[in-house]
Amino acid sequence: MIARLTGMANRLTRDKADTLLLLLAALMVLAPHFGHLPLWTSAMVCLTLAWRGAITLRGSRLPPMWLLLPVSLLAMGGVYLTFRTLLGREAGVTMLALLLTFKLLEMHARRDLFVVIFLSFFLLLTNFFYSQSILTALVMIATIIVLLSAQITFQLTGAVPPLAARLKLAGRIFLVAAPLGVLLFVGFPRIQGPLWGLPGDAGGKSGMSDTMSPGSMTSLALSEEVAFRAHFNGAAPPQEQLYWRGPVLSNYDGRAWTRAGQQLYPPALLRLARQLEWKGASYPYEVTLEPGRRQFLFMLELSEPGARIDGAEGIYTDELEQLVRASSDKRLRYSSVAHPAHVAQSGLDPQALERWLQLPQGFNPRTLRYAAQIQALRAERGDDAAIAAVLDMFRKGFEYTLEPGRLGRDEIDEFLFDTRKGFCEHFSGSFVYVMRAAGLPARVVNGYQGGELNPVDGYYTVRQSDAHAWSEVWLGPERGWTRIDPTAAVAPERIRTSLSQTLPQAAPFGLQGLADLARDQASWLAQMRFGLSAMNNAWNQWILDYNPNRQQDFLRELGTAFADWRPLAGLALCAGLVLLLKYRRTWRTRDPVDAAYLAFCRQLARHGVDKAPDEGPLSLAQRVRQLNLPREKIAAMTGFLELYGALKYGAPAAQNDNPVGRLNSLLKQSR
Amino acid sequence: MLDRWLFQLKEKEPGEVQLVMRRVFILPTKPGIAFVGLLLIMLIGSVNYNLGLGFVLTFFTGSCAIVDMYMTAKNLAFLHLSPGRAQPVFAGDETQFELVVRNNTPRDRYALWLGFQDEGEPRQAIDVASRSSAAVVLSRPTTERGWLAAPRVRLFTRFPLGLFGAWSYWQPDLKVLAYPQPEVAPPPLPTTGAAREDGYGTVGLDNFSGIRNYQPGDPMRHLAWRQIARLHPSDGGNLVSKHFEGGAVSDLLLDLKALPPLLDIEVRLSRLTAWVLEAERRALPYALSVGHHEIAQGVGEAHCAECLRALALYGKEGA
Repeated sequence: MIARLTGMANRLTRDKADTLLLLLAALMVLAPHFGHLPLWTSAMVCLTLAWRGAITLRGSRLPPMWLLLPVSLLAMGGVYLTFRTLLGREAGVTMLALLLTFKLLEMHARRDLFVVIFLSFFLLLTNFFYSQSILTALVMIATIIVLLSAQITFQLTGAVPPLAARLKLAGRIFLVAAPLGVLLFVGFPRIQGPLWGLPGDAGGKSGMSDTMSPGSMTSLALSEEVAFRAHFNGAAPPQEQLYWRGPVLSNYDGRAWTRAGQQLYPPALLRLARQLEWKGASYPYEVTLEPGRRQFLFMLELSEPGARIDGAEGIYTDELEQLVRASSDKRLRYSSVAHPAHVAQSGLDPQALERWLQLPQGFNPRTLRYAAQIQALRAERGDDAAIAAVLDMFRKGFEYTLEPGRLGRDEIDEFLFDTRKGFCEHFSGSFVYVMRAAGLPARVVNGYQGGELNPVDGYYTVRQSDAHAWSEVWLGPERGWTRIDPTAAVAPERIRTSLSQTLPQAAPFGLQGLADLARDQASWLAQMRFGLSAMNNAWNQWILDYNPNRQQDFLRELGTAFADWRPLAGLALCAGLVLLLKYRRTWRTRDPVDAAYLAFCRQLARHGVDKAPDEGPLSLAQRVRQLNLPREKIAAMTGFLELYGALKYGAPAAQNDNPVGRLNSLLKQSR
Repeated sequence: MLDRWLFQLKEKEPGEVQLVMRRVFILPTKPGIAFVGLLLIMLIGSVNYNLGLGFVLTFFTGSCAIVDMYMTAKNLAFLHLSPGRAQPVFAGDETQFELVVRNNTPRDRYALWLGFQDEGEPRQAIDVASRSSAAVVLSRPTTERGWLAAPRVRLFTRFPLGLFGAWSYWQPDLKVLAYPQPEVAPPPLPTTGAAREDGYGTVGLDNFSGIRNYQPGDPMRHLAWRQIARLHPSDGGNLVSKHFEGGAVSDLLLDLKALPPLLDIEVRLSRLTAWVLEAERRALPYALSVGHHEIAQGVGEAHCAECLRALALYGKEGA
């Protein structure tokens, strides 16, 4: 393909080929924008480029100013009509694309060429508003190389190397620049943006909301979108302890669970409210939250307050939620330390606990009657027995499914006594309802449970389908808030593994084998999936989210790594090897005849004969003859010089002769 | 003075000169400065919109510019420069200085611009392939007779990306002899009219008996160029030779002292130059006496060159 293109380019005159190359570069810059430019703009850009190509091929004149000016004004009007503004991101990108296209029609001096190239570089950047995937990066590299080739082409004056050679040169420039680029990327002091407001930023992706109503979880459960990725600095807790705490829902209106959303304690009680006692092992971890609708950070239960959040302010609430004020269009990284064994808020007084006993009036009469039995049991045998009884009920005859069917007005009654089919939101909601009715303070906690460990890079990937709801019960001043997960009673495998493996999956194209393959961890497909996921994660972590905090951390790590002598020694060794290879190449390329002559001259210098720069072998031989040395040595020396002269300045020697060997043996004799 | 120190402007350097890195200077061009502005805008955009890939693009293109700086300097460095031939000219004509650029390195060098330092933008561009050499001819008008040294040469290149311009200076050890300008309409040749001792024939302006077809063996300077020029090529374009009878010539002494001393010295030299050329054209042996220079009678290229040289250097240093 390239060979054919090159052949075609050879047949074109030079100017034409150069312009076509520039057009190709412009097309490579503009093509990724077609996806989000208004349709008419894309069409106009394509038509104009085709027109420019035709002008070039036919060798006709560029359109005059009186034609270009109205057309470009018209295009500007079109942009205004489409966006109702000429400012802002979308309108700006559209204008730039049109500007580049029209500039291609108005190129007269070398300056115009640079304008086109620079505009292209900038348009390349604006494409990252829309996509920053690995593929985009690869396309970017290809585009840079073609742009550089165009730039090189326009610098040439006489000889023009073939297109492939120019592309190679541009590629070499890029390759040589790459290490420096990496160094700049890593080390260049970063500032946390934005520097000014971002008009028209898109947000509102799917994510966990702060209410739980029938069906709110189901929509999440079917989404394989990544919610966040987590990484433990050290050992990770077991899978069944991976409860990522999100919003805490304390209010129930008979239909939906909602957040309290206000200060729950009078200031005097705040100290007690935040009273947390850590026991057992601690797990430091770091989370990268994907962009999306955001207010809550998901913290592993139970994390220390005061998480370190990159570039944003955190708020820790009385219900042990971690809130954040941050724009939602970028990834957010935060870290904290989790203590799975803990005692939370054990010092609350009964008055404060009142609010977690409230229930709406006039709902679920059957449940209330059942709760009365539980209350009696609790009075007789304690809180644990009461909880065990409810969980036991769930364990017997309840089904875990994503399609529980519609429930009526008294939804908890219907769920507990009629359908007996449900999902985590049903289990946790009804459990909290029963607990409250039985006189135990309880609340619903939303969040994510589990996560898929990627063996390639050690990151846990938590998807929307890992969304979960569980319950918390306050079990007296000794134990405080305690997590009870009723879903675990019904579907323990849901907790131990991830959701996608719990639910029977629809087989794609009716092929059960394919579905099995997709879920089997050991299959090559799964390996590939893990590899891809790890690559994406590394991309996100190191390229897209390399922010000032990350930079500081990384440089500090680097600093400690290089305080040790070993990495430095390794680096020095590598540098030495590279230098050695380079020198070896120059040694090898040196002419053996010249090398022998140089060695000979060094020998002569030891006998006191310094070769003058303009001295040839013959005059040297004359001086050699006057030396006070054994006769055979002088004969060898003059023989050497004669042979050298013949080799260097005489007719080419016969093929089967080995003059260099003879030269070297003479050199040895004259030592 | 500052230039001299900063750019190491050297005096004449004999023989071949290698442009070591120390002699190559580099600065961003106007597009290069604009490129820095573009990089700044791209950096600010990346910061503001938190574009991770934007940082990659900015830093990589910035690095490409730095690599370009290195490559531009390398495009000029380690070239070998040597003066080429320089033919004598007559004052008022264009001198052609030939300069030879040799590339011993494995890299091809493209788009090298050469020109004289005092003429601003270089005018000639050459490419020198790896392990080869290229010659470039720089011309310069002459105004007066005598030696004309080649002015300082400026080499300049923007290859490969045009963001940086590298330049170097070189004072080639090359000089051209400018002969006096021949007088436009000189008086006739000053023949002495005295016959030589052997008493052969007369001497006049038309001392040849006619022309005949060229025959192999005829001396080249006997070709009758005027007649050849008049012959139409369709007639066969044959060469014709002047045919001399007797072959006796009188003494033709071109003496500076014999010219009216009131004439300006340059005019007198011009006239002598014109006469030398005239005599040469007509293949008349002539002698020249300029100041201390006495050049015996003779004819031919070497003789002519010697005479013209004496005329060119009359009263000049290094004569």
